[in-house]
Amino acid sequence: MSLFLGLLAAGLAIGSIYALVSLGYTMVYGIIELINFAHGDIFMIGSLVVLGMLINVFHVTEASHLSGLPLIVVLVVTCVVAMLICAVLGVVIERFAYRPLRNAPRLAPLISAIGVSLILEDIGKFIIGPANASAPDVLPRIHYCIGPTDPNQGCLGMDITNIQILVIVVAVILMVALQWLVTSTRIGRAMRAVAQDREAAALMGVNVDRIIAITFLIGGALAGAGAFIFMLSVGVTIFNIGFELGLFAFTAAVLGGIGNLVGAMLGGMVIGLIRALVTYIPDKDIPFGLPHGGVAWQDAIVFVVLILILLFRPTGLLGQRLSEKV
Amino acid sequence: MATLMSGTLLPPARETRLLVIKWVIALLVPLLVFTFVWNGEAAINQIIVGLFIHNSTLGSRYDWTTLIGATIFFVLFYGLLTALAGYAVAADSGRQNPIMLWISMVVFTVVPIVLISIVNDLFVGISFSVLVWVPYFLILRFWHRSRPAVASALPRLTPLNSEEQASLVRRAIAGGFWFGLTFAVLSLVVDLIYFFSGQYGTDSGILLIWIVLRTVLLPLAGYFLGRLSGGLALRHTLKANGKKAQSSKEAIDPRLNPSLLTGLSASRSREEARDLVPNDAPLNSSGARNFYLVLLFAFLLCYPMIDPLLFGPGTEGRLSLYGDAGRYVILALGLNIVVGFAGLLDLGYVAFFVFGAYTWALVGSPQLTVLTGLVSDPHIWSWLFWPMVLVAALIAALWGVLLGAPTLRLRGDYLAIVTLGFGEIIPIIAQNMDKYTGGTNGLSGIYSPAFFGVQWNVSTPMPYYYLMLFLVALVLFANVRLRDSRLGRSWIAIREDEIAAASSGINLVKTKLFAFGAGAFFSGIAGAYFAAKLSTVASSNFSFTDSVLYLSMVVLGGLGSIPGVVVGALAVYAINVLVLAGLDNIGSDPASFLHPGYAQLQALFPNFSFGNIRNLIFGIILILIMIYRPEGLIPSARRRRELHHQAKEDEEVEVGALDATPGSAEFEKEVRVE
Repeated sequence: MSLFLGLLAAGLAIGSIYALVSLGYTMVYGIIELINFAHGDIFMIGSLVVLGMLINVFHVTEASHLSGLPLIVVLVVTCVVAMLICAVLGVVIERFAYRPLRNAPRLAPLISAIGVSLILEDIGKFIIGPANASAPDVLPRIHYCIGPTDPNQGCLGMDITNIQILVIVVAVILMVALQWLVTSTRIGRAMRAVAQDREAAALMGVNVDRIIAITFLIGGALAGAGAFIFMLSVGVTIFNIGFELGLFAFTAAVLGGIGNLVGAMLGGMVIGLIRALVTYIPDKDIPFGLPHGGVAWQDAIVFVVLILILLFRPTGLLGQRLSEKV
Repeated sequence: MATLMSGTLLPPARETRLLVIKWVIALLVPLLVFTFVWNGEAAINQIIVGLFIHNSTLGSRYDWTTLIGATIFFVLFYGLLTALAGYAVAADSGRQNPIMLWISMVVFTVVPIVLISIVNDLFVGISFSVLVWVPYFLILRFWHRSRPAVASALPRLTPLNSEEQASLVRRAIAGGFWFGLTFAVLSLVVDLIYFFSGQYGTDSGILLIWIVLRTVLLPLAGYFLGRLSGGLALRHTLKANGKKAQSSKEAIDPRLNPSLLTGLSASRSREEARDLVPNDAPLNSSGARNFYLVLLFAFLLCYPMIDPLLFGPGTEGRLSLYGDAGRYVILALGLNIVVGFAGLLDLGYVAFFVFGAYTWALVGSPQLTVLTGLVSDPHIWSWLFWPMVLVAALIAALWGVLLGAPTLRLRGDYLAIVTLGFGEIIPIIAQNMDKYTGGTNGLSGIYSPAFFGVQWNVSTPMPYYYLMLFLVALVLFANVRLRDSRLGRSWIAIREDEIAAASSGINLVKTKLFAFGAGAFFSGIAGAYFAAKLSTVASSNFSFTDSVLYLSMVVLGGLGSIPGVVVGALAVYAINVLVLAGLDNIGSDPASFLHPGYAQLQALFPNFSFGNIRNLIFGIILILIMIYRPEGLIPSARRRRELHHQAKEDEEVEVGALDATPGSAEFEKEVRVE
């Protein structure tokens, strides 16, 4: 039971990261109907930025034992810088690779997105090489136990670490902020208008190019924040992490209903939970388990979920695509 | 020269002489560059010496098959060029400026030959020459647009009588003969220089005999080849202008009635006029294309035999690479059916490739013993390859239908994502079910195919090269027939407008499933070949990157156009595998001209090599092509007009857009729905 709850906590933590990245996917799809294959790679670049900040700028090592004000400064500055760089990267990509193809048939911006993804992956490979790169542990890992404790077996309830709590809290704060932005500000209203009907929005005085750029900016910033908390919790990155993570994040967006922000958040959590719970499957032959255990099949299961969703409920869990987009 | 511009159909004798001069120089210069600047002359000498003298230093390192194959190729090569000279002289209407033709010939033929000879690598040389061609092409187009469009007077169009026909053939004979004679004289001079400077050494006796023979035979060959090609040109001209005997056609046929043409817009009537007389650009005409196709066919068949003569040692490695290119061509053609014809965006095409590969891997390797207990004798079991290619293709097709079935109701992007999902799931299954598939290490020891008298194993690329040629020819034939069939047309109808297609009575479900199945069928063929050639399959060989590669081949080549997809596949393969590796080779070779710059780049960036930045270059190329030429390299005419519809009405229509005469077979081919 405690294993299950522990997996629940881990699933929510990784799900929050998926949720942040999938928000970028769903916003871009809602507004220009493009699957931005490069978004996962923006996440990867963000993780490289965090890596660079921690190692090269702040010189954090295993033995640093930061605490108190310096710790908060390091974390906040790293997060802000990662978000800024990813946001700018998103805008630059939109300006040079997607805007010329605004009116082209669907395949052209898709191929262009794939091209941008290849370029970013190569740049990542150039910077950190083809192997894993790990970040030093900034925060000490403290385990909390929600529920009864047994002196012999350890925690009988949910075993959660402070980092997981931090991840979930940061993600929730950002998602709430985004929801407020989209529903209660002028820019948010403009974004919803452009997503609904681009030409009518232009007729109403909305600068469509600028709003699309702002969408990419926000999506990039969220990916940067996701990269920050990813590096805090998982701590290992590789140059092609963006691709698979992007795919899972897009699955999350589709699961929740593409174009729907709350749906993307929900979908992210669900995908994270599914991935975590699948590791529970034992390593036996087919009827009772899966060869090599559930761990090896995590990715495949996520894709099966995606296919099933698209088969049986293509609008997603929360989506009503025809009537309302964002 | 002014009289050349008169535009009448059959200019008198002086014009013939000028035409002969124009074409002989145009075609002779590249031939001379190839023969004397590059290895053409050396190759022929080695063939001659090798055939007749067995223990000389010059020719004895090649075996009989190589020499005979190379002989066949070179005979065809020089013969076809001579015939082409005759054809061009006959087919030329005289309106094209000779200087422009000579400059074009230099840029398009001499430059690549020189570059290839400098870098000694076929594909790196071609890619450098592409870098020259693109600016030249842009400059040419800019210049054409900036000149005011001159409306040339339409020629009088009458059917040819027998005297005019005979004079057409005489022109061709003159062209061929003078080409042969000039080439013979020039090579005689050069060879005498070589001979008297003692470069031929001990083999000079036989070579002297060859030189004399050549000087006599070439003009003779020119005469007869010119006659042949004159007949060909005559046939084409008659098709364009109508035969005299059919008087009823004269009244109805608008081509013979110039007044009908004046009703068309200026650009359109120019276009029509150009098509009606023997060609303004004979080298682009359909008759010349026959020569190119025969030459290409001979080149491909004889390539393993001429490669050592042209490029030196290392043939085996090169053949292996080029054979691999054929696999990509087959895959791109298969994907072209799904994405290009039927318009179903498939991002997970590699899954069907996996099925094909593992089918032969499971049956034709020791794994069969592991799985079923049947003991297989490699010598007998290898014959099973040929039926198993078909079985692998059918199994892949079956899975194509199975994996395509869930996607039938989805549109565009969702279809792409579902197919992407399948493309990811299948390699993961292959990796994890390692009781059957060998997991990450894969299956090894897969048998090569067997054929009569051919030693075939994993380290002999030449049989695999010919097998690949055979498979590519088969797949191309199948694709062309599919495109022209009822099924192909219904795919294109679905691509254009599903609802209209369904309203016209096309069964959407069946047609889409057929598209998936047919596309997967070809990838199954490629998979079986891949398993046999590499002799191992591992799940790490297949990933989404490969799917993206195949999709980019189809898109870069031109969606739905078969020659475009073939060229796109070769171009993408060349960029990804050949050119960058070749550049690395040249750069690290201290003697080459690239080395200083290369070394400097390596000093700046520690782990720089062209192979490492492959994805970077490929991504940039993808983006640039999507922005500037989204219809691909060789698009179908319809798609080009669709994507560049901003092209102004009063602009010159592209030469390639409507090459065939209206009403002829080629015209129907041009405007087919594609």
